[in-house]
Amino acid sequence: MSPIQIILISGVVFITLYLYLRLRSNLIDAMLIFLFFGGAIFFILFPDATTSIAQRLGVKRGVNLVFYVTILFLFFLILKLYSRIRKLEKKFTEIVRDKGIEKAEFLEKKQ
Amino acid sequence: MSEMTASIFVIVPCYNEATVIRTTVGRLLGRGYQVVVVDDASSDNTKDLLSGLAVYYIRHEVNLGQGAALQTGIEFALQAGAARLVTFDADGQHDVDDITLMMELLDKEKAGVVFGSRFLAGATANVSLSRKIVLRSARLVNYFASGILLTDANNGLRVMTRDAALKMRITENRSTHSAQIQNMVRENKISYAECPVNISYTDYSRSKGLKNIASIRILYEMILFKIFR
Repeated sequence: MSPIQIILISGVVFITLYLYLRLRSNLIDAMLIFLFFGGAIFFILFPDATTSIAQRLGVKRGVNLVFYVTILFLFFLILKLYSRIRKLEKKFTEIVRDKGIEKAEFLEKKQ
Repeated sequence: MSEMTASIFVIVPCYNEATVIRTTVGRLLGRGYQVVVVDDASSDNTKDLLSGLAVYYIRHEVNLGQGAALQTGIEFALQAGAARLVTFDADGQHDVDDITLMMELLDKEKAGVVFGSRFLAGATANVSLSRKIVLRSARLVNYFASGILLTDANNGLRVMTRDAALKMRITENRSTHSAQIQNMVRENKISYAECPVNISYTDYSRSKGLKNIASIRILYEMILFKIFR
């Protein structure tokens, strides 16, 4: 086993454990996590397996295919996160606004 | 006049405008308008400077941006029974007399909204060349984002009727709000007109206002606005 495989496997194990500990209440989530875990470990141990899939899709090397798929996935994640942030910001704005209006003052002293 | 102006609410969003806020607000009060200052979490002594003046003072506890401050002011003014609403920059670049002209135009055109423009004939504004180029391009970007082509898309002076204001709901907290306002005018089929207004750029307003370079950021926000709204 090469050093990079050890590094990657420990990374995947760490992420899987973390996710599992946080989401274990949900069976489907747990299954998805272990599917991810199994897939990642498999491709780390047998990187050549990606190559045969890649070539069927018209990509020369498996590593390149993984790279392309990862970029797409990360871009999708950024969009999801961004729309989540916008929603939160909207909510936050409403709270600050309502509180501001509630505490509005008329600054001239009434005699 | 004062009976008429008593139901006109002027919304002045401000963020760290201590140097000029009292002057700006004083001029508005001099005309009998109801003034709503929306302090967008200034860290200076804006509130102390306004003490004793007949203004409504609302404070955001966290800085949200000019668009958010305007929306807060609009909601407050509507609750307070405003018949007409004005948006007015705090930095003193607008001319109070223009409000009267815009009100007249609002009546004459039976419009819902009147936008101030520093580029229409009759307006005086000592706009620098670089600023002119940026504002002229911004106008096209605003057109792309809102579907309405104004001669001056980024002017802070606007007048609107209560009905028009009820249809407004600014959710773009930062500078994209001007495009969003125009977009809402178009979507709600609110009739609008433009009125030449005077802008007096001072060293102060130049230093406080948006830098030309900020237009790049606004362009980016506009694109996001188109995608995510």
